[in-house]
Amino acid sequence: MVQRWWEITVTCQAEAEELVYWRLQSFGCQGTATQQQQGRVLIQGYVPQQQMTLLDIAALGVWIEQDVVAQGYLSPKLHWQLVNEQDWAHSWQAYWHPIPVGDRLLICPAWEIPPRDNTRLVIKLDPGMAFGTGTHETTQLCLEALEMQLDQTFEPLPPTVIADIGCGSGILAIASLLLGAQKAYAVDTSDLAVTATHRNAELNGIRADQLIVRQGSWEQVLELVDGVVCNILASVIIEILPHLPAIVKPKGWGIFSGILLDQADRVAEQLEQQGWSLGSVWRRQAWCCLNARFERLPD
Amino acid sequence: MAKKVVAVIKLALQAGKANPAPPIGPALGQHGVNIMMFCKEYNARTADQVGMVIPVEISVYEDRSFTFVLKTPPASVLIQKAAGIEKGSGEPNKKKVGSITRAQLREIAEKKMPDLNANDIEAAMRIIEGTARNMGVTITD
Repeated sequence: MVQRWWEITVTCQAEAEELVYWRLQSFGCQGTATQQQQGRVLIQGYVPQQQMTLLDIAALGVWIEQDVVAQGYLSPKLHWQLVNEQDWAHSWQAYWHPIPVGDRLLICPAWEIPPRDNTRLVIKLDPGMAFGTGTHETTQLCLEALEMQLDQTFEPLPPTVIADIGCGSGILAIASLLLGAQKAYAVDTSDLAVTATHRNAELNGIRADQLIVRQGSWEQVLELVDGVVCNILASVIIEILPHLPAIVKPKGWGIFSGILLDQADRVAEQLEQQGWSLGSVWRRQAWCCLNARFERLPD
Repeated sequence: MAKKVVAVIKLALQAGKANPAPPIGPALGQHGVNIMMFCKEYNARTADQVGMVIPVEISVYEDRSFTFVLKTPPASVLIQKAAGIEKGSGEPNKKKVGSITRAQLREIAEKKMPDLNANDIEAAMRIIEGTARNMGVTITD
């Protein structure tokens, strides 16, 4: 069933924005959006439909009116409507089209058809509400690094198992399988990501025994893997690094991204402390991707 | 040639926890902004401030690209922190839940000054004081 939200809009003087924010927050809005409009501000807050009744909204309106007028500001205007989650989920997707990544891959939205003359490996993707659309620099860097690690130009790839930690839409695990990996683990702490990865595996004809999708982190990887890819955040990568020896084979490879350029040194230092040998750092815009090999910790 | 800005949107969000749910989805989706990309960048830049609300001002350009700058936390969040309370009062006229000193009030106003619609520090202090009063937080000398 489609989730519905109350969209509560308050139009008021700019000076009253802080007051209105506070009152919306106290009624359960977990964030607000504000835009300037003809000398006033338009503040929008959202609450899941089931968490608020029309009586609550009426009470909210009275409180906001009272808060703002008591401070000597002009009376605010308040209106509300119910909106469907799908309304905005689709609006931005209309601008998303197939994009080639690296030398061999084409990321194609599930609702689009790949070009007829395409010769690349096609990853069909419906990210839903999860991260990983293939348009972000870090995802592209990881895909290119996977192309390198799973290259079969000069010799066939031996049976390879990989783990995608923080899988989002599952794009990296699915790409690994399409590039020749035998088996992949895709884990993420978000249930939205797990759902999106299952959906995308199905879209790409991936079998359940090829792609193991689990909610959680590294501890959900149940065997030693040949390579690991983590496209998360620098701080999260640093947190999980001490645990990776439990799941990565000696001489296994690692692809680490989601790292801003100014965070690269900190992550590289931690990698070396945890027994990894840094091979290369790839940069794109403000982001980078670290390619490393696991050498085992000294005894 | 500079790109044309089609919208400037301010979002008040939990640091490190942006996701495509409201208010981000509706606010950015209508302008064709890649929501996941914004969430990823916002989360990366605010990961060390988890637990705080960090507003962000996003400029959306005609080609649907965007830039953003992080702003100071909302006054109510700074007041709660200064007063050592978890939330404000539901009935501020009857029930007071905490207090802050005038010096703390000035400190918050100075911190918020760049983002407030105020010409001087006194006007900024009046805005913060109004928010504190509505939260059931008193100002002491």
